[in-house]
Amino acid sequence: MVSKILQIVLSPAIALVIGMLLLGLSRKVIARIHRRYGPPIYQPVIDVVRMMSQASISHGALFELGVVLALAGSIVTVLFIPLGGTSAAAGSHPLAHRLLCPLSSSGGLLVVIYLMLFGPVSIALGAGASENPNASIGVSRNMLLALAYEVPFLLVILAVMSHYGTVSLADIVSRQQQSGWGVLTVPLSTVAAFLILPAMLGIRPFDLAGAPQEIASGPLAEYGGRYLALLTIQNGIQLFVVIALFVNLFLGGGVNVVTFLLKVFGVFLAAELVSAVLPRVRIENALKFCWTWPTGLALAQMIITVVSK
Amino acid sequence: MLPTTILIVAFASAGLVYLAGKVHARLRNALAVLSSLVLVGLIGLGYGAWGELVYVPDFLGLELVLRLNLLAWFFAITVAAVVSLSTIFSLSYMRRKESANFHYSATLAVEGAMLGIVFAGDLLSFFIFWEIMSWSAYLLISCNRGRALEAGLKYIIMSLVGSCGMLIGLLAVYTGLGVLRIPLVAEGMQAASPGFVLLVLLTFGLGFGIKSAMVPLHTWLPDAHSEAASPFSAVLSGVLIKMGIYGFVLLMYVVVGLKLLFGVGAAWLTFRHVLCWLGAITVVIPTFIAVLQTDAKRLLAWSSIGQIGYIILGLSFGTSLAVAGAIFHALNHALCKSLLFLAVGAVEHNTGGVRDLNKLGGLAKRMPVTFACALLAGLGLIGIPLTSGFVPKWLIYRSLIEDGYPFLALASLIGTWGAILYVYKLLHNIFLGQLPEKHREVRRAPLSMRIPILLLGLGILVFGVVPGIPLRVVQAIGETFGFARLKVTLWGLASEAGALNVLNICLAIVIAFVVVFLIMRLGAKGPQVSQEDSYAAGSAVPVGRYHYTVDFFGPLSRMIAPYLKDRVDEFYSWVGARARDVFSVTRRMYTGYAGTYVLYIISFLALLIFLQSVWKVW
Repeated sequence: MVSKILQIVLSPAIALVIGMLLLGLSRKVIARIHRRYGPPIYQPVIDVVRMMSQASISHGALFELGVVLALAGSIVTVLFIPLGGTSAAAGSHPLAHRLLCPLSSSGGLLVVIYLMLFGPVSIALGAGASENPNASIGVSRNMLLALAYEVPFLLVILAVMSHYGTVSLADIVSRQQQSGWGVLTVPLSTVAAFLILPAMLGIRPFDLAGAPQEIASGPLAEYGGRYLALLTIQNGIQLFVVIALFVNLFLGGGVNVVTFLLKVFGVFLAAELVSAVLPRVRIENALKFCWTWPTGLALAQMIITVVSK
Repeated sequence: MLPTTILIVAFASAGLVYLAGKVHARLRNALAVLSSLVLVGLIGLGYGAWGELVYVPDFLGLELVLRLNLLAWFFAITVAAVVSLSTIFSLSYMRRKESANFHYSATLAVEGAMLGIVFAGDLLSFFIFWEIMSWSAYLLISCNRGRALEAGLKYIIMSLVGSCGMLIGLLAVYTGLGVLRIPLVAEGMQAASPGFVLLVLLTFGLGFGIKSAMVPLHTWLPDAHSEAASPFSAVLSGVLIKMGIYGFVLLMYVVVGLKLLFGVGAAWLTFRHVLCWLGAITVVIPTFIAVLQTDAKRLLAWSSIGQIGYIILGLSFGTSLAVAGAIFHALNHALCKSLLFLAVGAVEHNTGGVRDLNKLGGLAKRMPVTFACALLAGLGLIGIPLTSGFVPKWLIYRSLIEDGYPFLALASLIGTWGAILYVYKLLHNIFLGQLPEKHREVRRAPLSMRIPILLLGLGILVFGVVPGIPLRVVQAIGETFGFARLKVTLWGLASEAGALNVLNICLAIVIAFVVVFLIMRLGAKGPQVSQEDSYAAGSAVPVGRYHYTVDFFGPLSRMIAPYLKDRVDEFYSWVGARARDVFSVTRRMYTGYAGTYVLYIISFLALLIFLQSVWKVW
């Protein structure tokens, strides 16, 4: 019981810290690629603290509710994702510890993909409660972008789930630790997932939903102060959740938290390097891109998986 | 005794309400609400009883039987609840409308017929009640005249085709097996030839497929749902099309039975596979057609077809999890879709009949209760955790994935993402964003509209947090079909591989919500400003004119619209037009001159004489 509670506190804490670190890292890496010095890596933390102390206008209950629900949804999602460790059956590694996943037996991957919706849908509701047309445009783009990457993403996770014959994320991780990583067993899916990773993270070239120069940051246009602070945290956790899912599905999770987090940083850096050199695309192009190469690869892998079963 | 009482109350009150309307509108309203509530009470009273009861001992030499079991009660309580809430809603919606007398009376008649269908113990009573339902629904759909007449005609023609199919099936069963009582038919089917089983499945399936609006038999639904009066749309989409689903359950799992069902067909072309794929198509295509709609009720109508796809898919997939999910989803869809139709009806009522999604906006502050409940129902359709839509969809997905049908799972998951698009479009364009100037004066919906909306919303929430309540009933129904027992708990499923516990999800969300909320309270508080006071990079946003609704999902619509024409509807219309051509040519034989008719008679006689003299036919 105590270890359960400890896990429930620990998981979101890790996600929070690493998420903020990822935000800082992203700015630093992009700055270096642009041959700038860049802000310190803890700059997002400074920003959050500063914003918490700044007063901001509000457009009413739904406007605030959207922010709270979005962050709550992201935190809850973390509880369903294994953050390193092995289940008892495969614990042979000297540095291994028990699986860090507080709610591993409450519905599995299917619940995760539903919970990942909580964030975008809540922000959409909160943004809709303001009267800013920019926010509505941003939300419309965000939903279309979600549809664009969900088609290949669903194919990818269905291929993984049918390959391992389970909907439980914890089982998928432990099976990989026993018999080889997903990147080897479902290689085309891995490539497809990596191609849509920038879209899932909402970074360039797919940062069209919150494009600051075009639509005044879209859904975030009306948010400032404490609301923006919470949404920044939410963004960080969302980044962490997506990358953690990738690591769990294809890189075998981690035998302990440290290796898991190293893999998270590795994948994030790779995604950032792609992102740093590409310009923003339009939503039409995003739809077309996501529904051609990634979908084709994921579909091919799924057919292979189904046929070879 | 009780089922006869229920049916008598329903049909008698249908007549009485009409007569009361001739006396005084208030008397009629009171009587209509009272009798629909009495029906809910009676069904609640008898809930769970088993048995059979002969109510007409000799009808052309046949016994007409009513039959009580858990499946019947489950559907009966849903029907009675939705119809009574729709009747309460009608109090304001139908006020000062000419057709009100007829509306109340026909709605009760439809309810009586639906209850008759679920309680019917033999195929003949089933067919009789089915026809009463089809015809009273036809009258209600075309009640509004104008375009509604056309929609009603389309509906009744398709219904008649379905009824013909059922009649053929009925006659085949009677000549083949000599019995019509459902348990006896089920016994007889076990010994019947596979061809006969397939014939029964196809003929009855045609009728049920049309009523439940399965692709490619769906074309009546978008017109009928959008043209009917909103309270009746709620009944139509909430429970009436579920009668098709009830029919499928009865046909597949009671009459034909689990053992025979999976054997029908050859190699990969089995009845089960075809129906599964039709279900999957019914999920995907109508969902994306719904995204393109600009009429609120038409959007909901297409979404109904999409959601029916999940139920058909689950039912025809035929594992214990999938069937439980399908029957649970029938309840979930009844709650969510009736709520959404009632909410759109309330908006329509308050804005003077506007349901064009491009002309509304910003009503959340004017109609907060309606908005909150519509939001809940929308999330329920998507299947977000903590709404009643989550568990049934989870059951269906999981069954499809674990039994190795990832492509069917893909179709149903993509349908869910499409549902997010149309649900948000509906909610945003009506309730969020800028309030147009001409709707500034809109007030909240009257109490008689808010009560049914609130009760349905409550149902969605309760069955979402405590899914065990309906799940227990659903799993007991599944057991009577011969499925393995599911380990149902109050909070979901308990099993070794892949348990589901909604309580954990619920607690996690509530705790996270409270924590985040408290953290937010720590931050500096700012003033609350009016909606118009928004950021536009230095230039003022014109008030009431900048609601981003037209072409809301423009880039997607432009991409997918060419592929989403309703070709089935076009084909049916083409067949209809060609038939009309043929008939208009044939009509010319009636010239109106007696001489021509004499000529016809003489030439016919000449033909007969010729036939006889050459071939000696007689």
